[in-house]
Amino acid sequence: MKKMLSNPVFWRGAVSIVVFLVLWELGARSKQWMAPEFFAPFKELLGAMGFKKDYLPWIGAVPAPSAVLQSWIGVLGDAGYWHSWYMSFFRVMGGFLAAMIIGIPFGLALAVSRVAHGVAFPVFEVLRPIPPLAWVPASIIFWPTQESAIIFITFLGAFYTIVINVLGGARSIDVRYFQAAQSMGSSNLDMFRRIVLPGTLPSIMVGSAVGMGITWEVVVAAEMISGGGSQIGGTSGGGLGFFIWNSYIGGSYEQIVVGMISIGIAGYLSSELLRWGGRYATPWMKAR
Amino acid sequence: MSRGHIVMQDVVKVYDPQGAAVMAVDHCSLEIEPGEICMIVGPSGCGKTTLLNAIAGFHEITSGRIVMDGELLCSTEKPKSVPGPDRIVVFQNGALFPWKTNLDNVIFGPVMQGKLSRREALDKGRAMMADAGLAGVEHNYPGEVSSGMRRRVEIVRALMNDPRALLLDEPYRALDSLTKSVMHEALLEIYYKNKVTIFFITHDLEEAIFLGHRVAIMTTRPCKPKKILNVDIAHPRDYSVLTSKRFRELIEETNEAVHEEALKAFQAGEKEG
Amino acid sequence: MEAALRVGAADGAIAALRETTPFGDASEALLQRIAAIARPARFSAGTRIYSANDTADDIFVVVSGRIEHVFKPEVGAREAHKRMTRGGVFGWAGLLLGQTQRLASVNATEPTEALRLDTEELVKLLESEPLEGPLIMERFATMIQREFTLPALLAQVRRLSGPLTEEMSSLRLTMYRLSLWLKSPRPYLMLIGFALFLGFWYMAVEVWKLPRFREMPGVTGVVKEWFSPEPTYGLSIYTAEYYQHIWMSVWRVAQAFFLATLLGVPFGLLLGWSRKFKEYVFPVFETLRPIPILAWVPLAIVMFIATESAVVYLAFLASFFATALNTMLGVESIDESYVRAANCLGANQWQVFRHVIIPGALPFIFTGLQISIGVSWFSLVAAEMVSGQYGLGYVINTSYMMVRYPTIIIGMVTLGIVGYTTSALVRIAGDYLMEWRVRELALAER
Repeated sequence: MKKMLSNPVFWRGAVSIVVFLVLWELGARSKQWMAPEFFAPFKELLGAMGFKKDYLPWIGAVPAPSAVLQSWIGVLGDAGYWHSWYMSFFRVMGGFLAAMIIGIPFGLALAVSRVAHGVAFPVFEVLRPIPPLAWVPASIIFWPTQESAIIFITFLGAFYTIVINVLGGARSIDVRYFQAAQSMGSSNLDMFRRIVLPGTLPSIMVGSAVGMGITWEVVVAAEMISGGGSQIGGTSGGGLGFFIWNSYIGGSYEQIVVGMISIGIAGYLSSELLRWGGRYATPWMKAR
Repeated sequence: MSRGHIVMQDVVKVYDPQGAAVMAVDHCSLEIEPGEICMIVGPSGCGKTTLLNAIAGFHEITSGRIVMDGELLCSTEKPKSVPGPDRIVVFQNGALFPWKTNLDNVIFGPVMQGKLSRREALDKGRAMMADAGLAGVEHNYPGEVSSGMRRRVEIVRALMNDPRALLLDEPYRALDSLTKSVMHEALLEIYYKNKVTIFFITHDLEEAIFLGHRVAIMTTRPCKPKKILNVDIAHPRDYSVLTSKRFRELIEETNEAVHEEALKAFQAGEKEG
Repeated sequence: MEAALRVGAADGAIAALRETTPFGDASEALLQRIAAIARPARFSAGTRIYSANDTADDIFVVVSGRIEHVFKPEVGAREAHKRMTRGGVFGWAGLLLGQTQRLASVNATEPTEALRLDTEELVKLLESEPLEGPLIMERFATMIQREFTLPALLAQVRRLSGPLTEEMSSLRLTMYRLSLWLKSPRPYLMLIGFALFLGFWYMAVEVWKLPRFREMPGVTGVVKEWFSPEPTYGLSIYTAEYYQHIWMSVWRVAQAFFLATLLGVPFGLLLGWSRKFKEYVFPVFETLRPIPILAWVPLAIVMFIATESAVVYLAFLASFFATALNTMLGVESIDESYVRAANCLGANQWQVFRHVIIPGALPFIFTGLQISIGVSWFSLVAAEMVSGQYGLGYVINTSYMMVRYPTIIIGMVTLGIVGYTTSALVRIAGDYLMEWRVRELALAER
């Protein structure tokens, strides 16, 4: 802790965050400090450019950090808020795990068998550019419950990334490892277990990190678009995406920002969890 | 006027002085004569690259002095020398710019410094490449030619700037022995034409004795000259030197010293520098 | 009879050549020419075919049997002993720069049939093939370095003299590679893959009427709708509205992408180049980045009066983060030696930036741009679904709400096509700017 406090790098970062917050606060309150007559010509200029006259463009409409903080403290006691956390996390983990369970074997199969690659990869590549969210209506039609529909979309989001990373990882395994194994008499299955699998793990880890980010994007989007499931009013049930959307509809702009920051934190936590798991699975990477 | 006369006095380098305080170079003094090929031999991680980096200007020294041709490069008061075209480095893993053709690489120095116009540089570059047996690969990218060729292009790139000294940091380490011996002869050929001072780091004793006028054997970290050998085999040399009696004698003289240091380094678990 | 025999022999020769590394992908015409100069040879078990230091005159292709190939020790091959059966090629020392003598001794360990190709005749033949010739020489070079583990300097294959060898333009190379691809099994496997996919979709929805599947729009329905001049739901390739929606989405992505690149690349370069700048700015950047773009939607609607700007802003934001981050990583990944070398050679800071940093970071930057455009589409579709008018995301959403199911699929497929095309355009631009990398990767190809 002391080391952190004496480190100039830490202070520079801290300073910039503080500056950022101050600017945000000022900008958000522009309606207030721009009120006096002094600013009238400036306001006319804004109007002439097509912006709203009463406050600074863009940032003037955003709630101030102080208001956001207030709102957040209020929401912390609300069970519905925490339920949203739980719902989003549940969907993220569910979809992500499904993507790993299906994606890793799929990717490995494609890496190992040329025939499988020739048959499946083109279809995969054709479907990949379709954004997962475009699947939402189709998913809702297909899956019996809204929950499964959302998890399917989440799954799609991470699936593509994981497969691509597995393929890339398998390809980049040094040929010499295979040659060494062969000369020591390994069977194909042996080589798969002991070279391909561990050799691909680092790429899988990297792919998972990126996939996790995408998963959150998808979950939030899916929650916002599909209404988030449980329609119990207020803040409960729908996950953090729905929380944000609901706050918007309910006119509570501060809560919107609370939701945004919450998701940011949640995403960061899940990535850390993943990284921790990754370190556990690939201890040899520490030496790099 | 002497060209490429490098004097190192009492150079000390300590990494992370407030923390781990690892001494890499311990009061090292060495004088390199102008136009000399001076080979620095030592086990991996002993600090010889640190010396090179200090001369080149990539690292600071903690104390001591390095002077070239009477001009101060760095000292205790001015710990970092400024990198420049008077002492050009040839890097271990090669530093030809992969996004430029070989010829564009070669003319980079003079063009950047504004010493030659582009056309003049191209002419000179082509001539020097042809001289070094590299005609025909001017318009290839470094990634397209063999690593031996890449090394030669890099040396030509350095020589285009008429440097006073060439600093070579284990340049042939990654090459196989067959290519290496060809490279040695190529380097000597170039040297005989240009007579530039060469400061060459290696861990290969045979390479050192074959190429060098003098060989400085360094101790393991912190490094300091342990033994300096005068190689009294006449220049110009060719590969027949490798089997000559004098060559074998010199190896015998120095082998023990080198081996001793290597063993110490091994036991200390040195990681490659 | 003799002609038929000759033809039969030629077919056998061509079949054997097809199984070799250098000639495996050559065109039928070229193989016939090579087969014409090939002379069959037979060796009984235990025969010495040639010895090291003999004159290197013929190249051998093994048709059947087994030979043992032993390099002389001076050569320094990593693996001196090699066994070869059908498809093996040996005796190519004459193709190497400065080599006229055999580098190895070769024995037949079983009764062996082989084809002999006179080296000079082969070289002349390859010189007369401006497109395929150099490629085959490249394959020889790769084979020699990879499969025979010769040190690189020794394994320098002679350059073919002749007009086009140095100057083969990327376009012709691409066309040639395309024609090679068409001859490999890959396009057929691909067709099988698509057939399976579409077939399953068709069967599941329309024939077997599987439980969840029967609610879905069927392939025939979608295809009929998409290609009909009078679509039931108003969108097909014949309607102007279809293209309007495509254009809207593309236009939005273009705006977002270009803005993001314009701002993101310099921003990323600065982050990577200046440690101070990074220390000040990166923490704020990294705090904002994890917030999913879609979480910005309500705020964006509030901030931007016009929905159009809000949508473009969202796509821009996603793109910006991806571009800036990857650019920064690109700069940071540049090997220090390059910068040091440039310093040694007398370049000033600005020159280093222009000649080392920017080209060095370019591969990463382009990877970032490809990711960025993908992310841009992703965000755009989401934004359109939530709050847009026109655009493909809007189409998909409203089609769902108005129960126009086939149109959903049309929207999805169109999105895929357009998204892929834009991505490919970015990649092609990158390949064009980084010719050096394309060539380097081609030589390293497995």
